Amino acid sequence: MEVSVIRSSSQAKISKTELGCRDLRFCFGKSNDKNKIFSRKPNSVCFDSQISRFRKAGLRFTLKAVQSDPILESKSPATSKSLDRLRLFVGLPLDAVSDGNSVNHARAIGAGLKALKLLGVEGVELPVWWGVVENEMGKYDWSGYLAVAEMVQKAGLKLHVSLCFHASSQPRIPLPKWVTKIGESQSSIFFADRSGQHYQQCLSLAVDDLAVLDGKTPVQVYQGFCESFKSTFSPFMGSTITGISMGLGPDGELRYPSHHKPAKSGTITGVGEFQCYDTNMLNLLKQYAEANGNPLWGLGGPHDAPTYDQAPNSNSFFKDHGGSWESPYGDFFLSWYSSELVSHGNRLLSLVSSIFGDTEVNVYGKVPLMHSWYKTRAHPSELTAGFYNTASRNGYEAVAEMFARNSCKIILPGMDLSDEHQPHDALSSPESLLAQIRTTCNKHRVEVAGQNLASGAPGGLEQIKKNMLGENPIDLFTYQRMGAHFFSPEHFPSFTEFVRSLSQPELHPDDLPSDEAEATESVQTSSDPNIHLQTA
Amino acid sequence: MAAVTIDSLLQNPTLVFRPKAKVLLKPPRSLDCSRNRKLPLSRGSCLCSFNPRRTIHVVRASSSETALIGNFDISSSDDILYKDIFPVKRIEKVEGKFFIRLDRSKDQHDWQLTVGCSLPGKWILHWGVSYLGDSGSEWDQPPKGMRPPGSIPIKDYAIETPLKKLSEGDIFHEVKIDFNPISEIAAIHFVLKDEETGAWYQHRGMDFKVPLVDYLEDDGNIVGAKRGFGVWSGALQQFSNVLLKSEASHADSQNNSIESKDSKNKNRCLEGFYEEQSIVKEVSVGNLVSVAVRKSPETGKVIVCLETDIPGDVVVHWGVCRDDAKIWEIPAAPYPPETTVFKNKALRTLLQPKATGNRSGALFTLDEEHFGFLFVLKLDDNTWLKFKENDFYVPLLGTSSVPGLYGQSDSTSEEISSKSYTDGIINEIRNLVSGLSSEKSQKTKKKEVQESILQEIEQLAAEAYSIFRSSITTVPDEVVSETETTKPAVKISSGTGTGFEILCQGFNWESHKSGRWYMELKEKASEISSLGFTVIWLPPPTESVSPEGYMPKDLYNLNSRYGTIDELKELVKSLHEVGMKVLGDVVLNHRCAHFKNQNGVWNIFGGRLNWNDRAVVADDPHFQGRGNKSSGDNFHAAPNIDHSQEFVRKDLKEWLGWLREEIGYDGWRLDFVRGFWGGYVKDYLEASGPYFAVGEYWDSLSYTYGEMDHNQDSHRQRIVDWINATNGTAGAFDVTTKGILHSALERCEYWRLSDQKGKPPGVVGWWPSRAVTFIENHDTGSTQGHWRFPGGKEMQGYAYILTHPGTPAVFYDHIFSHHRSEIASLISVRNRNGIHCRSLVKIVKAERDVYAAIIDEKVAMKIGPGYYEPPSGSQRWSLALEGRDYKVWETS
Repeated sequence: MEVSVIRSSSQAKISKTELGCRDLRFCFGKSNDKNKIFSRKPNSVCFDSQISRFRKAGLRFTLKAVQSDPILESKSPATSKSLDRLRLFVGLPLDAVSDGNSVNHARAIGAGLKALKLLGVEGVELPVWWGVVENEMGKYDWSGYLAVAEMVQKAGLKLHVSLCFHASSQPRIPLPKWVTKIGESQSSIFFADRSGQHYQQCLSLAVDDLAVLDGKTPVQVYQGFCESFKSTFSPFMGSTITGISMGLGPDGELRYPSHHKPAKSGTITGVGEFQCYDTNMLNLLKQYAEANGNPLWGLGGPHDAPTYDQAPNSNSFFKDHGGSWESPYGDFFLSWYSSELVSHGNRLLSLVSSIFGDTEVNVYGKVPLMHSWYKTRAHPSELTAGFYNTASRNGYEAVAEMFARNSCKIILPGMDLSDEHQPHDALSSPESLLAQIRTTCNKHRVEVAGQNLASGAPGGLEQIKKNMLGENPIDLFTYQRMGAHFFSPEHFPSFTEFVRSLSQPELHPDDLPSDEAEATESVQTSSDPNIHLQTA
Repeated sequence: MAAVTIDSLLQNPTLVFRPKAKVLLKPPRSLDCSRNRKLPLSRGSCLCSFNPRRTIHVVRASSSETALIGNFDISSSDDILYKDIFPVKRIEKVEGKFFIRLDRSKDQHDWQLTVGCSLPGKWILHWGVSYLGDSGSEWDQPPKGMRPPGSIPIKDYAIETPLKKLSEGDIFHEVKIDFNPISEIAAIHFVLKDEETGAWYQHRGMDFKVPLVDYLEDDGNIVGAKRGFGVWSGALQQFSNVLLKSEASHADSQNNSIESKDSKNKNRCLEGFYEEQSIVKEVSVGNLVSVAVRKSPETGKVIVCLETDIPGDVVVHWGVCRDDAKIWEIPAAPYPPETTVFKNKALRTLLQPKATGNRSGALFTLDEEHFGFLFVLKLDDNTWLKFKENDFYVPLLGTSSVPGLYGQSDSTSEEISSKSYTDGIINEIRNLVSGLSSEKSQKTKKKEVQESILQEIEQLAAEAYSIFRSSITTVPDEVVSETETTKPAVKISSGTGTGFEILCQGFNWESHKSGRWYMELKEKASEISSLGFTVIWLPPPTESVSPEGYMPKDLYNLNSRYGTIDELKELVKSLHEVGMKVLGDVVLNHRCAHFKNQNGVWNIFGGRLNWNDRAVVADDPHFQGRGNKSSGDNFHAAPNIDHSQEFVRKDLKEWLGWLREEIGYDGWRLDFVRGFWGGYVKDYLEASGPYFAVGEYWDSLSYTYGEMDHNQDSHRQRIVDWINATNGTAGAFDVTTKGILHSALERCEYWRLSDQKGKPPGVVGWWPSRAVTFIENHDTGSTQGHWRFPGGKEMQGYAYILTHPGTPAVFYDHIFSHHRSEIASLISVRNRNGIHCRSLVKIVKAERDVYAAIIDEKVAMKIGPGYYEPPSGSQRWSLALEGRDYKVWETS
């Protein structure tokens, strides 16, 4: 790298104050091409040491004083690598392919893909539904999804596939008919709550290894599905398809359907209910209790837990002080309840990671962000969902460890939520919970990808940006979700703005020259989130 | 003014000709001249009038990053503190010649007409012929054999042939037209056009006419008679940057050449002639201003050395400043020679010619403590040269400021610039100016690419949105029923549509330029619809004497500058497909004639509606109509139609019916309805049964001592009277509201927005359902700017009209501007809350600096810099959107 310093007798004077790069160029004419560096202190110009010093300091330099765009690219491979680490995906509509394997609003999706590509989005996420593909047991119809994958490939985008073994109510995408039919005669394949109500949107984790599906276990059925997917989409694997999320439960998330009754609008989310009352779960509990020498504890779930939409204090189980959750019984029950969830996760993730282990795709699983009541000691929402995480116990250790064991990555939703927008009475703290999970994952070297809960949450985009670019940046983020609202004039411009700001960190107004063209050019090479353009 | 030859110009790489610039060169027009745009515009079928032309220099300057320093040696000393070269652009007049020659070709049988021009440019001869027996001033296509190679037919009446240099060394670009004198051709007509600038050279406002037979009527435009040349600009109506110098004396000697005295006996005895005229064109010229700052080693003083190659007297208007605020101050003496003090704020120094070259310069010796040196250049009384709208700035202390990178120009320069209107022009030109150096222009290109990508993204998103949106409404049944209950029963009437209409004006004053507006708009259809517009107003579709369409001629000929009739149908169809209603702009007040009557007055119509002078009102002496007196105001540029005539009304009703049927228009925007009684409009509307109709009733607001009256009741009364006369079958543009918004926003007098009864002061306060509120249209804004909405406050205007009752109309230029997303958000607030044309508005604040209102108890809004928050009572308000000096809330 050529370094030259141009000095003139008057330079010392000029350099006293900070000079705009334009001024510099005025002083030295055009002779300072881009490979030359000017330091503010003319006597200490030493390129290499200077730059390395910059790097140690987190690469802080002022745009004004140093004109070093090409250096960034050529000299620091780390920079360019981290550049493409920041990947943004956008979710396709949940019903992109629905009943009968037809692609819905293909034209809109086509236009949308083009728009996203132009925006510089990395790829799209495609939910692939069990209920759409496997209409007859063991017979898979992938035609609709193949068509979408081709569209995505043509658009030059990447594809992240979410394998959905659950059902959706809005838009309505049910489980495969043959599964529903089995469920009608054999309701114990579904989760049940204390009142015996069944949750029919996904299978109970207790039947994973029971041959309840016409002689096959659900895990075997999932396996068949995944293998068929793999062979059908093999031309796309690793090139267009870069990631796969394994559906792990309700809404694809690793959890119990503890909150499936949606809170009435305007009211605060309740604590949810334990879902351990279907025959198979009760059997497991009974075995566990007997093995632990407390057979009486295996007869049912906690008797003093509140119901779905009640607050923690409305019964004694989750009370902050002296709640049963802190009793030996509480510990017994919660340990069992959460370990069943982790084992279930382990069963499915080891399955997919063995199936897709020989491809270049990354395998993900989604962990929910049960943030309400996080500020209480018991964290009841997390407990009912199956995460034994309280003020005194980090329940995500086991989860992260399980993901690490299967070399899977975690998708965390709710990156758009900020504490200040939560209802005060909910004692909720999405930010703290997110931080806790992420720290735990870091510890176990599990990579975390982000997702938002809903588009249009107040301050959502800002919060996402904070999470993506903050101290501990996220390498992949999936923005949910394409549809009418996504492209509406109320939303799309702000999304565009968001995407552009991700690749171009904000500059202090001072650093924006009058011709913005120049600004954009200088900035493009600095879009590495690690580099903070210092606003001098 | 020095003549500049073309060659040297072209060698200058910085000379980029921007035809758009001419747009900026319009002379100021008086505001009350509201119908200006309808001045007749071509080919002599109507009256013409000229605005006196002023000579303006247009100057632009920008900083350069190129390595010009080396070429421009200012000072040989090496203690330079600062050095820069600013390229500047001036407009210079270039003089040249233009000739017409008629002579016999070599074989002595055929004749040849030669037209040549010595000025640089891309000259095009726009020409046609008239045949023996033709009447009127219509052109026809010349026979094929007459067309020189390279000719392009323009519609069915003209040919365009480029002028070429016969050889490289030639001064003249010329074109030769061979013809046979035995043919039926009576005359050759032409005008000259400069493609580069879009300027038209005409002959006394009409075409040049070379008669080939001797008995043609003299319309006054025969070449060879009393010579006086006029110029029409290509932008028609806009001041052109081309001047044709009238040189009567010069032409005198050739006067007789064409009308040969002995050719009276119809024997087609042609005589050759040669005529030459001076022609002047304005060309932009690049110059350089170089500045160097050095320090005198002896005195310790700072010496600013300024030099330029601008020819002629150049005065530097200068001062110094102490800090970044750049307040002009006068430094202590000594000053350079030829320096005067200007109003105690600045100094003026005449640059002294340098010994070498054509340069002039000056040395300014200043004390060390000054922070910066500020200057502008003055070339003559009207010509100021600034740096990107701002003063030139030279840092003396080597500060961090970047030239041109500071906010407001200081008071001094503002005061100066108000003296001429150069400032405004520079201001506009600034937008067109991109960098001059190649590096910079590359970046600019990059930016342009980026911008076009963004635009494409927006379009794609709009398309996706419209599809997603339409597919959603079919899914959830509950939502539909919910909206049904909140909406009052929809009753469609032509005055209001459904009452929930939001209008988009789908064109501006420039839309005719491309010749394919219909097709361009078609591509935007889904985008416009997705923004929430329900009705779109298309430009006037008929054949018209003026390209914008407001001088209709044959009403049944719908091929216009906007496109063909088929393209129009296609456009209407696509607009219907995306769910919009389409308004046709119909000009019923006046119509341009095809023929002259026996007195030579243009008042006989042709085409399918071949009316005679009985169709023309009697009270405009210009057109000698034999109809009744006008039932309204007269529009003086064309024959006003007498709507009291039964046959006229019958024909017009039939025509409107045909437009509905044939084109698929859903309704009308009625042009200049001041010109005739509203009762006739009622008649037309009842006959054509539109879905929506709105009339343009535009007259002046009342002013006392130059200040607008608070009470504009008489103004809105006149509009309401007209609506009343139509029996409420049509709405009217709420000109009153626009006028009051102007005063309120411009002068920070928001109290104006409430009338004595605490209601909105415009038409919308009296008859909201018939008020079509707007803040700008093709006349008031666009490139005409007859009555432009206060700049930078457009969004306040839209925050007002899009939250208030009445039917809001949004101007095309605003939709496709940076206002777009804010406008879209306002529209969605309006739609979300079901605000309609009869919504109730409660004004809660109308004070000096803030106006606030609550509409239908669902939406609260405020405009103005002052404070307002909606009450925190039983309703919970949440901020829906905010922008510069406005906020809108809705109930949550």
